[in-house]
Amino acid sequence: MPAPSTTEAARRNRNLCAIGGGVLLVAVLALLPGVASPYTLTMILPVFAYAIALLGLNLLFGTSGLLSFGHALFLAIGAYAAAVMTGHWGVKSLELVLLGGIAAAVVVAIPVGFLSVRYTRIFFGMLTLSFGMLFHSFLIKFYNVTGGDTGMSVKRVRLLGLDLSHLSRVEFQTGPLYYYALVLVIAATLLMWRIVQSPFGLHLRAQRDNARKAEYLGVRVHAFRLAAFVLSAAYGAVAGVLLAVRSGNADPELAYWTHSGELVFMTVLGGFASFVGPLVGAFAFIFLRDWLMGMTEFWRLAMGGILVLVVIFVPRGLAGLAADATTRLRNQFDLRSRR
Amino acid sequence: MTSALIEVKSASRTFGSFTALAPIDLAISSGEFVAIVGPNGAGKTTLVNLLTGLLRPSTGSVTFKGQDVSRLGPVRLARMGMARGFQLVTVFPELTVAETIAVAAFSRLGRAHHWFSSAHSDGDINGRVARVADAFGLTDRLEQPARLLAQGEKKLLDVASAFALEPEVILLDEPTSGVSTADKHAIMQTLVIASEKMGVKAVVLIEHDMDLVATYAGRIVGLHAGRVIADRPKNDFFTDAEVVAMVVGRPPKGFH
Amino acid sequence: MAAFAEIVLGGLFHAAVLFLVAAGLQLVFGVQKIVNLACGAFYALGAYVGASAAKWAIGVGLPTPLVLVVVLLAGLACAVIGPPLERVLRTVYDRDESFQLLLTFAFLLMFQDLFRIGWGANPQTTGSLFLSFGTLDLGLFKTPAYNVFVIAVAITVAAGLGWFLQRTNFGRLLRATAENRAMAEAVGVNARAMFSVVFTLGVALGTVGGALVVPASAASLDMAAELVVEAFAVVVIGGLGSISGALAGAVIVGLVRAAAIVFYAEAELLAIYAIVIAVLILRPAGLFGKEAV
Repeated sequence: MPAPSTTEAARRNRNLCAIGGGVLLVAVLALLPGVASPYTLTMILPVFAYAIALLGLNLLFGTSGLLSFGHALFLAIGAYAAAVMTGHWGVKSLELVLLGGIAAAVVVAIPVGFLSVRYTRIFFGMLTLSFGMLFHSFLIKFYNVTGGDTGMSVKRVRLLGLDLSHLSRVEFQTGPLYYYALVLVIAATLLMWRIVQSPFGLHLRAQRDNARKAEYLGVRVHAFRLAAFVLSAAYGAVAGVLLAVRSGNADPELAYWTHSGELVFMTVLGGFASFVGPLVGAFAFIFLRDWLMGMTEFWRLAMGGILVLVVIFVPRGLAGLAADATTRLRNQFDLRSRR
Repeated sequence: MTSALIEVKSASRTFGSFTALAPIDLAISSGEFVAIVGPNGAGKTTLVNLLTGLLRPSTGSVTFKGQDVSRLGPVRLARMGMARGFQLVTVFPELTVAETIAVAAFSRLGRAHHWFSSAHSDGDINGRVARVADAFGLTDRLEQPARLLAQGEKKLLDVASAFALEPEVILLDEPTSGVSTADKHAIMQTLVIASEKMGVKAVVLIEHDMDLVATYAGRIVGLHAGRVIADRPKNDFFTDAEVVAMVVGRPPKGFH
Repeated sequence: MAAFAEIVLGGLFHAAVLFLVAAGLQLVFGVQKIVNLACGAFYALGAYVGASAAKWAIGVGLPTPLVLVVVLLAGLACAVIGPPLERVLRTVYDRDESFQLLLTFAFLLMFQDLFRIGWGANPQTTGSLFLSFGTLDLGLFKTPAYNVFVIAVAITVAAGLGWFLQRTNFGRLLRATAENRAMAEAVGVNARAMFSVVFTLGVALGTVGGALVVPASAASLDMAAELVVEAFAVVVIGGLGSISGALAGAVIVGLVRAAAIVFYAEAELLAIYAIVIAVLILRPAGLFGKEAV
């Protein structure tokens, strides 16, 4: 049987390419603190955070076919968990804060997901939006617990037990926290890679394409959707913790539905079909916004216009665009070498 | 022991005031190849949907291995050994042929919740995928996404994925519709051979083509206007001109 | 008793405005299968333009009833943005609905800045227009006459919409298109023209709703995004795509909100979502919905 072996080789080839590209990307990001300005570096921290959130959102949207318009809920939960743990409970370790944020997100995601995953498509989007706004109104209205619209502050944390309070804010963020977040992004990407390639990921894709058929092939549609929802919530919480630790604040606007819309914006901007999509999308969104904010007071108008153009002309996102370009290049190369 | 795999006890189904299926009794046992025939609107698909739990009976009960089908749900049914194909082409457009068959194979082996193993390098699964693909002549197509297959191949893939569950009973709703006559026989032969190879104990088939039914089925259930008008071994069925006429949907010659 | 009646009237006032926006959302979803996140922007646009129109009308010395007519006409006139926006949306009709949702989200983002450019960051009001209507003495209690007027307008629109959809030829074609687009096109319905008209009608319902609400409150930058959330609650409760559902959902949300504000202000949105979740558990398709996917 020659056919499977060539495809097996092709797959191995593709994997090697991906690994090579990934290593290169990581090397660039690891060397960046030596060359980039502190300002750029502090901007990359939220890029890392959002990349992790988008990995989770991709599992839900790209792999499982469920578009959440309330995913910001879990970023907010991560951020507020960080505020409560560092502020009220005196927890110093970022590892513990991350675990706490994940635990809180999982506890919320199970009932929310249980109710939401019975639906797909637009109904799922509207339901998740509703749950996100429910939490937002809780944050705003219950001032005593949450600090209302001013939010809660997040204290400086220790990384791996190291007390870094002697560092200035900028030194902390452009040094240890930068590398910490980079490692988290790598770990989160590898973990998600495994999950999407697993039988679990295969069953998620099957139910995305045709839920009824999948059921009759023994796919536990609702249970697996719920598992994907909870997983993506956990990823969202990690992102929320990082964002809050960076900004020193947990803000109710994190839970507002337009923030969820921005997450979806980044997902589409980066392209939801690939593993670099989240990093590309988060990077493009944050630096684009920063650039526009510096140019004009009316940056939202410009961002909206860009979103319109992306949706209409580049539906597969920047990563999709790059993939098309490399395919074209490779084809040309193949043609030339054959001649 | 001749206990039936599927047992229907005076099950009926109504939609509002419309009776799709009057109360019927039916038992399908190991070793049977049952064809369900009848004109359009006779209630064939309704019957299969009752048998597979997609519809709940309005009265009566349907059991599989002694358990109420409508309470089990499709996932448990699949685990217990019942598989079905669909009338309209239903595949996973973005999954390759190999992946589609693997979906069922993972369910069969109870490995779907393995979160960290690679879906592509499971030897047991790949072996099963290769066997099923071979049985259905899909080996050349293994790495193609289902959406790129020809119509007949999509049908085959739908049936093949159901077989990959290694079911005891398989229910097929017009697996050959929209396929040329020559292909129909090829599909049916593939089906029969695959059933034997994979130890399928009973096949239930909805089919319009009387020629196919006469060739492959052992027992025929004729439906007309939501009623069973005949449930007989093949030979007794085709000798009754009146019954044949009713299920084909036109009066027999010389009837007027 | 008087307090109870005040809650009911206050709730109905809010329900009246919510109904208009939600009905627009339902119409567009029913026919085009697009959930329009920009519905809140249309509402805000109506409010801003209505406020400016009122200022102008008061400035030139029109009598109060005529000011109101000007405000309503201004709201209605905003619907001219419908056809060009629909033209942009048309590029994604045959794509996944996530792209449709994102495109309307982009509209919302852009409108928010357009409001900032046009009217600045400060809320826009119509001054004393609301008060000049005076109060209506209904025996047991008094109520602002303007609120009663808005409720009456919403009831008129609801009745008109019902008549339009059930009795007119165009309404029948519209419902047929919503039911089965391919079938409707096969019998000669021009779906493109239909989509443009329906979308514009949806815009008009939103902008008129905004123009109606502005004398009683103010036009502000947050109102667009905030309204989307309430309108979603209305359509989830009522059932997606159903105009009767929009009516029922709007009344429920309006009354619950009014009651919550009086009894326990913190629970305002929480109470609405408690109902949304209860409805989804008990009747997943909403009160008037056909079936959930």
